[in-house]
Amino acid sequence: MAVSIIAITSKYAPGDKSNLIAILQDAQKKVGYITPEAVDKISGHLNISRSQIYGVASFYSQFKFNPPGRNSIKICLGTACHVQGGDFLLNALNSEIGISPNETTEDEKFDLDRVACLGCCALAPVIMVNDAIFSNMSVVKMKDLLDLYE
Amino acid sequence: MRQDKTHITALIDGEPVRVRRGDTILDAARKEGIYIPTLCYLEGMKSYGGCRLCLIDIKGGRGFPAACTTPLEPGMEIRTKTPELQTLRRNILEMTLSEHPYTCLVCADKKECGEFMHSTRKAGTITGCNFCTSNGDCELQDLIDYLELDDVRYPISYRGIPPVKSNPFYDLDYNLCVHCGRCVRICNEERNSNVLAFVERGNSTIVGTAFGESQTSAGCEFCGACVDVCPTGSISGKLGKWAGPPSRSVKTTCTLCSVGCSMNVNTRAGKLVDVGPAPGGRMDPPQLCIKGKFLAGDITEHPDRITVPMIRKNGRMVEVDWDEAIRVAAENLAAWRGNGFGIIGSAQDTLEENYSLQKFTRAVMNSNNIDLISSFPDPRLQEEIASHLQPKGRLEDILKADTLLVLGTDASVSHPLVENRIRKAYNAGRKVLYANSEATRTSLFSTVEINYSKCKDYNFLFVLLAELARETISGLPAGFAKQVKESLLISGLKSCSVKKDDLQAFVKALVKSRSLCIIVDESLLRDVSGLQTIKALANIRFLKAEKSNCRIMLLGNEGNLMGAAMAGAHPYLLPGLDPVSDDKALLKWNKNWDVKLSDVRGLPCNEMLSNIGRDGISALMIAGDVPVSGNLGKASLKKLKFMVQLNMFSTELTDHANVFLPVTGFLENDGHFLTLDGKIQRLHRAVPPQGKSRSVSEIISLLAGAMKADGFSTGRAGAVWKEIGSSIKIPVPQNGSPKPRFELMKPPDSRNAGSGKKSGSGKNHQDHYRYRGNRLSDLVTDLQALLESGMKEKV
Repeated sequence: MAVSIIAITSKYAPGDKSNLIAILQDAQKKVGYITPEAVDKISGHLNISRSQIYGVASFYSQFKFNPPGRNSIKICLGTACHVQGGDFLLNALNSEIGISPNETTEDEKFDLDRVACLGCCALAPVIMVNDAIFSNMSVVKMKDLLDLYE
Repeated sequence: MRQDKTHITALIDGEPVRVRRGDTILDAARKEGIYIPTLCYLEGMKSYGGCRLCLIDIKGGRGFPAACTTPLEPGMEIRTKTPELQTLRRNILEMTLSEHPYTCLVCADKKECGEFMHSTRKAGTITGCNFCTSNGDCELQDLIDYLELDDVRYPISYRGIPPVKSNPFYDLDYNLCVHCGRCVRICNEERNSNVLAFVERGNSTIVGTAFGESQTSAGCEFCGACVDVCPTGSISGKLGKWAGPPSRSVKTTCTLCSVGCSMNVNTRAGKLVDVGPAPGGRMDPPQLCIKGKFLAGDITEHPDRITVPMIRKNGRMVEVDWDEAIRVAAENLAAWRGNGFGIIGSAQDTLEENYSLQKFTRAVMNSNNIDLISSFPDPRLQEEIASHLQPKGRLEDILKADTLLVLGTDASVSHPLVENRIRKAYNAGRKVLYANSEATRTSLFSTVEINYSKCKDYNFLFVLLAELARETISGLPAGFAKQVKESLLISGLKSCSVKKDDLQAFVKALVKSRSLCIIVDESLLRDVSGLQTIKALANIRFLKAEKSNCRIMLLGNEGNLMGAAMAGAHPYLLPGLDPVSDDKALLKWNKNWDVKLSDVRGLPCNEMLSNIGRDGISALMIAGDVPVSGNLGKASLKKLKFMVQLNMFSTELTDHANVFLPVTGFLENDGHFLTLDGKIQRLHRAVPPQGKSRSVSEIISLLAGAMKADGFSTGRAGAVWKEIGSSIKIPVPQNGSPKPRFELMKPPDSRNAGSGKKSGSGKNHQDHYRYRGNRLSDLVTDLQALLESGMKEKV
């Protein structure tokens, strides 16, 4: 993995701090998330401390610090879904698969994200698993749904 | 009042102010003593404009700009405290407080809180919640008072972040954090430790490290700057966290290394609260390092301190009173007058203490065997340093120089405040040439780096000098030209495994430099070729000094090494660097002290230790600790007839001592101290002496009195300093130093790999955490844990 990070950083001028986000994006594309090793390498290359890199990366929700699961769940907590009980879904999910947003289950089956709107508010509450949207969710429906995934 | 090119005038609250052009409104107001509330402001650092509490009203201006980010302009009319501004500020503070436990704001017992908090009495007087530390130094409280805020309209939003207690020396409770960013900025901008950052976003923003790792593993250097600036107690030192608000603050000097930083010590009823800014001083705290900030306090009130004199009776150490201890010591010492007696002092003691020790050795014990635990193995070095390495580099020279040549130091550990300047110079775009046999954190802040082979410091310095000489002067001194022929140079480079290109990069930068500061670690001089190293350094300065400014800064590990020698704690040198071998000097001191001094040169520390028993040394007085190993094995200790130990702690050496006299630490002492840049710094007693302990000078006076010697004052620092001042000047002026010239050196042995073996004198070079020879890592468990976790390796 270290080699692939070096392959990324070597494309950018050493010490040029303005490239930080671009490098982070490349690193995430390659590995799927931002690893501590990647932060180490980038820190050495750009001469920015690891804490500061983590500070920047954790500011943007696009960067993940956990390996992605085989299936990714996005749970909508936008206004309509929130009103329709998106929170209940989130809590139920939490107790069902044991993770909070931005985390990945231990068996790497699922990772979980919360999103602000999926664009189908009339069908609230909705969740999205991989590329499919599931509408008018309830806790019971959701549990059945998760069983379909490996 | 008028405007000119450099200064401008304006009105603040109707008061005319005159400041330098470019100063901010806040600078101007503070200069005039006009209070503007701030929370994120830090003196001497870039304005942040984060807290928005310093909003001001500019006549004719739009809105309310922040005083800390707005430069003052000529003729501005500024108001700092209008009802409108106060309301705005109140609203801002309210929002800040909505995430901070603000119970104290509405608490009826607020006034008594500072005094009675954590009282154990089950009476009505107990007040105090457990949200924050009780040092009473909360800037939010001050702001609340100034803005007359008596309620917060927002619901309490307690973040419930678990406090972190796993770091040594300080605890974290980010529930108290108000995100002023002071710690983050001081860590990154001022100290360049780059450990702290704001992580996450929005409501969940927190001061933290990468992946939530501990501060220790993120490479924290424990300089304590974040603890000092934190306005709320989210970062608080473990020592004194619950000691209550300080009632007294004393400025004194840290003697743990030779930088001699000013420090402030807070106490309450004679008990140490902490080493940190005086109440109200968090915007501009003295910058210290782990040693001053944490270790100094930890050793002063250490539970293992021995504070009662002890003597050996029937093979066991028993506690006695001072009279008996002094009587026993004096009676026995009287039998060992002459060259069989020696004193080993400490370079971390004050000038007064070392002066007293050497006067006692010479005038009472009629011996010149006086040296320091950490003295150079070759005593001649001290004179050579005094005469060759002048003028001394001063701390401020590091930032003035365009090029730094950093040789062999691990300044981030040994002299963190020198390192601090090196980092600043690097960030300011100066050239930092770093050469060492090992990679250290300092090398991260270098523009060119050379790693030469271990113990080849002098080999490297010689090739560097040779190459520099060829570039700078046309007619090389004949002898030297022969030494630096091309072929020899190549073998020289090989001997220290340096690439020619790297060396050339160094030389190029050195040639270009118009203002050079050479920073040398003392370990280079502890090498067997120490004398040659000094010459090489002086030669580099000679080559550079013609056209440019060049200063040399020697980083002595133990504070007062040079100062102590000047006060006379040196086997070859009387006070004022007068050689013992000089009859005139001897006569002068005979007269000064009204005695007949021995004209036999004394033994340096390592020889004293190795000469025990062999009709050399029979009695020793050791002001500190010398490890029982090497020169001073158990076998030779058995041969010692009498030993007095002056220390704060019981050590392995104590098992062999006949008398143990408890001494005070430097926080309990008055006195003077000579820093590495040749400045005299004052020590003030900040903490009363622990138990029955006494300062070294006082003990010496008692001993001298018991031995019926005249001419010893009470031993109080003031009296001793007066006595020193009446006969010599410290620092000793180097008058009539010969015109600088190129001095020939012995070329290094480029073949024999073992030639550069370092020889110590009872000092472990790697262990920079010592006080009077005591290993601080044995005493302070936090330091031990830190060293075990490998603080140094974290880069």
